[in-house]
Amino acid sequence: MTDGTIREMKDSFASTTVYRSEDVPLQCIPPPNELEDTLHGLMKLNGLIIRSLEEIAGRGANAVTYRAGRKYGHEVAKYFRKIEDVEEALKELSYILHGQYTIEIWKPADKDRYIIEENGSTFIYLVFHDCIVRQTLRRNGQPQGGPLCLTLFGYVVGAIEEITGKKAKLEIVHTGPNACLKKLILQ
Amino acid sequence: MIEIRVDENSCNGCGLCVKDCPMQVYELRDSVSVPVRAASCMGCLSCHEICPAQALEHRGVYPSRRHYIDIRVCEMLNRVI
Ligand code: SF4
Ligand code: SF4
Repeated sequence: MTDGTIREMKDSFASTTVYRSEDVPLQCIPPPNELEDTLHGLMKLNGLIIRSLEEIAGRGANAVTYRAGRKYGHEVAKYFRKIEDVEEALKELSYILHGQYTIEIWKPADKDRYIIEENGSTFIYLVFHDCIVRQTLRRNGQPQGGPLCLTLFGYVVGAIEEITGKKAKLEIVHTGPNACLKKLILQ
Repeated sequence: MIEIRVDENSCNGCGLCVKDCPMQVYELRDSVSVPVRAASCMGCLSCHEICPAQALEHRGVYPSRRHYIDIRVCEMLNRVI
């Protein structure tokens, strides 16, 4: 490597910014449009991890990611107030997740209530609008509904169980480029 | 409230949207897709992705974040289109 190359490299990192230990960052640096490379790099990395996990563990990958998500959901929601009402709990969860995931409690036009009872099971439809998992998968050209989706799955189940104190199960009904439909089955 | 329009001149009656929609929003009538249950649409836009004729239009769908798309590519496309 020539001296010129090294100098060029060093110059690119030169800065006059002053940092003090007590400084609290008041803004996101650099501005969001400059975060694109970082964000896309993270998406790539996550996609690679999930692809390798699938190659190594096969169908077992789903169990691993689901468990990891569920544990994390329990951990995060531990600090939130306990609510018995599932609809209220979902509202709370949607507040916690805002920015990464946005969730809407939803019902088809022919249903009167959001809590639906059908074939002996009780469930609520959830539409996931904004979702960093979907964005990651689409960035990498990977299919939706696999192990990375199951992390989010587990996360929501864990958080709902923690907030309501009740057992829950989630089921993917449909995945789309703009939103996904899931069923939260109450047990 | 979501509104759906199908361009009757473009639709080739393949029925892919009918099969793909999880909410049974569409029905084929005289070889053209008709959104008979638009009120049940949850805005996933799978039908847009699957329609080979680009015959569909949805109004009132929440546009979810798409940070995975390159800003530079969008800027370039905007200049061209
Ligand atoms: S956006 Fe989704 S729910 Fe709405 S009509 Fe298309 S496929 Fe059906
Ligand atoms: S997918 Fe497109 S072309 Fe095929 S029936 Fe539906 S609207 Fe028509």
